[in-house]
Amino acid sequence: MKSDYIKGLKKFISKWEFVLFLILVAEFIIFGGVNFEKFMRIESIFSSINNYISIGIISLFVTFVMITGGIDIQASSIVGLTSIIIGVLWSDVGLNIWLAVILAIITAGLCGTLSGFLIAYFNVQPMVVTLGGSFLYSGVALLISSLSKTPAYQGISGFPAKNEFGDFVSFRALGKTVLFNKVPIQLVIYAVLIIICYLLLHKSKYGRKVFLVGVNQQAAELSGINSRKIIMSTYTLTGIGAAIAGVLLTANVDSAKYNLGSTFTLSIITAVVLGGTLSTGGKGNIIGTAVAAIIICIMRYGLPLCFGISIQNVDLPIGIMLVVVVAGRAILSNSKVLAFLKHKNKTTR
Amino acid sequence: MYSNIISCFNSSVVFTLLAIGIAFVIMTGEIDVSIGSTMGLAAAIAGTLAQQNSSWFLMILYSVILGIVVGIINGFGVSVLGVPSLIFTLGTMGIIRGLVYVYSRGRTVENFAGDFTNFGSRTLFGDITFYYIIVVLIVIAAHLILTRTRSGKYFIAVGDNCGGANLIGIPVIRTKIIAYIMCGIFAAVSGVAFASKYGQVNIVAGAGYEMSAIAACVLGGISLSGGLGSIAGAAIGAVIMSAISRLLVFIGISTDYDNAIKGIMLITIIVADSLIQRHSIESARRERLAARASAVRKGGFES
Repeated sequence: MKSDYIKGLKKFISKWEFVLFLILVAEFIIFGGVNFEKFMRIESIFSSINNYISIGIISLFVTFVMITGGIDIQASSIVGLTSIIIGVLWSDVGLNIWLAVILAIITAGLCGTLSGFLIAYFNVQPMVVTLGGSFLYSGVALLISSLSKTPAYQGISGFPAKNEFGDFVSFRALGKTVLFNKVPIQLVIYAVLIIICYLLLHKSKYGRKVFLVGVNQQAAELSGINSRKIIMSTYTLTGIGAAIAGVLLTANVDSAKYNLGSTFTLSIITAVVLGGTLSTGGKGNIIGTAVAAIIICIMRYGLPLCFGISIQNVDLPIGIMLVVVVAGRAILSNSKVLAFLKHKNKTTR
Repeated sequence: MYSNIISCFNSSVVFTLLAIGIAFVIMTGEIDVSIGSTMGLAAAIAGTLAQQNSSWFLMILYSVILGIVVGIINGFGVSVLGVPSLIFTLGTMGIIRGLVYVYSRGRTVENFAGDFTNFGSRTLFGDITFYYIIVVLIVIAAHLILTRTRSGKYFIAVGDNCGGANLIGIPVIRTKIIAYIMCGIFAAVSGVAFASKYGQVNIVAGAGYEMSAIAACVLGGISLSGGLGSIAGAAIGAVIMSAISRLLVFIGISTDYDNAIKGIMLITIIVADSLIQRHSIESARRERLAARASAVRKGGFES
């Protein structure tokens, strides 16, 4: 009984999620050590995660895509597309804000489906299609923004916000509500999405199919899975995820702009890869992605605060992190290195 | 009319250099998205040198060194460590972009001394700029190297069939590293051209250029799965990419359509390419089957 417990613990320690957890703790120790008063404030930690929550949300869904062996670099341009569609439909067409939100999410889902369709049914490389998609959707977003009376660079603002009591209601409530005086509503939504994605990927039939398609598409096809449909659906999910991120971001900054989120791609891919998902497909984990995304959020919050690095410089450590993780994992999984390490262990013994 | 066509070519100098460089990498079946950042860093370095009125030689030397360093890092990560190229170069892209911020301290590099910027508009043979002539010469040289020399053909061979190339004794890893080094050098040199052409380098210079360069290669007929295409194609694709926005102005459509049109073109071409390839594979298979069937019918097929 006890040995089972220890075995379970050992298994947990050897897992990648544990390493991620250690990195997260290390971040708190380092940042807290450098500047305890400024860093360790629950409100500002939460609100900083809040600012970059889009990265977390999108990376959850990109995990699905990467498990099937694809890649999605168009999600960040769908964020802007969603935002501007909401803005234009609400302010210039005069639709109800919630109707606008629903239409925007449907459009984003269709955008994802289009790319997924081309990838799955025409056997085109996902990298190129989503590259074209990132051009196309950001271009369409710019076009839609030119339909509006508001100049594109300004962004459409003034969304319905407060009721007569001064509380945030309606659309802005999605961006500004704070539960228990501490927890922003986006975090709650993020947590719910993590649970949904976890159940979908690890506990449902659909998730098993996604994994099988990633491991061996031919085998999946032979065992009666419509692998093309599965691949296409993962891109639809990413489109919807990007749309949710776009809605939350628009509600938070109160501005619908065509280029919202355009700089997220590096962080999204980093979060997914850091989370332990194999970019060649077949292996991945929602919890890992979620923790990795939080690591990146805390990094984006802590580095400027504690080390005085300007926010724009944050690309540098995130890039280093991505390179170190992928290179390190490649070295460790390299059979020659493994053989060398084993040999060394034997000789030292 | 005439001058408009010429200026399409002249304005494509930076894109063409980037596209030639990345063509080497794409032909070997990999990808490099860090070139935009490399270009930005090289442009910032060239800009600060130009502020001190340094010589051209020094700028080119520094950018070539930068390109080699970036290329070796990318090539090592991709071919020796075996990390998927998109992910590795995405990481180096972030690192180099961060270095641009660090190097220029977040400020725009401008006020170049001497005739650094004048040189960008100096013309030869009528309206064609000096730069474009150099680019044309480079395209011809690179094309000849790739199609006529032994080690030039290695790039296509590695991209076409990596395992096969390895078996017949082509140094696959070395070829890939060289491809990345070429890509880095071209990206860095295009940074010098960028600085000289626009007269100022801000911190986001070159962001997104990698996408345009990849699109240019795809437009120019280089297959992203490797092993197919030519440098001349990449150069023509780059001219088309930079001509789109100019043409839009000419027709009288807002440049807002720029990205949407580029995206549609890219997707259409890649889908059409895939359909044609699938069709040719299918028809080749049919032919083989038909030949075998007729051989059986004649009774001449023994096994």
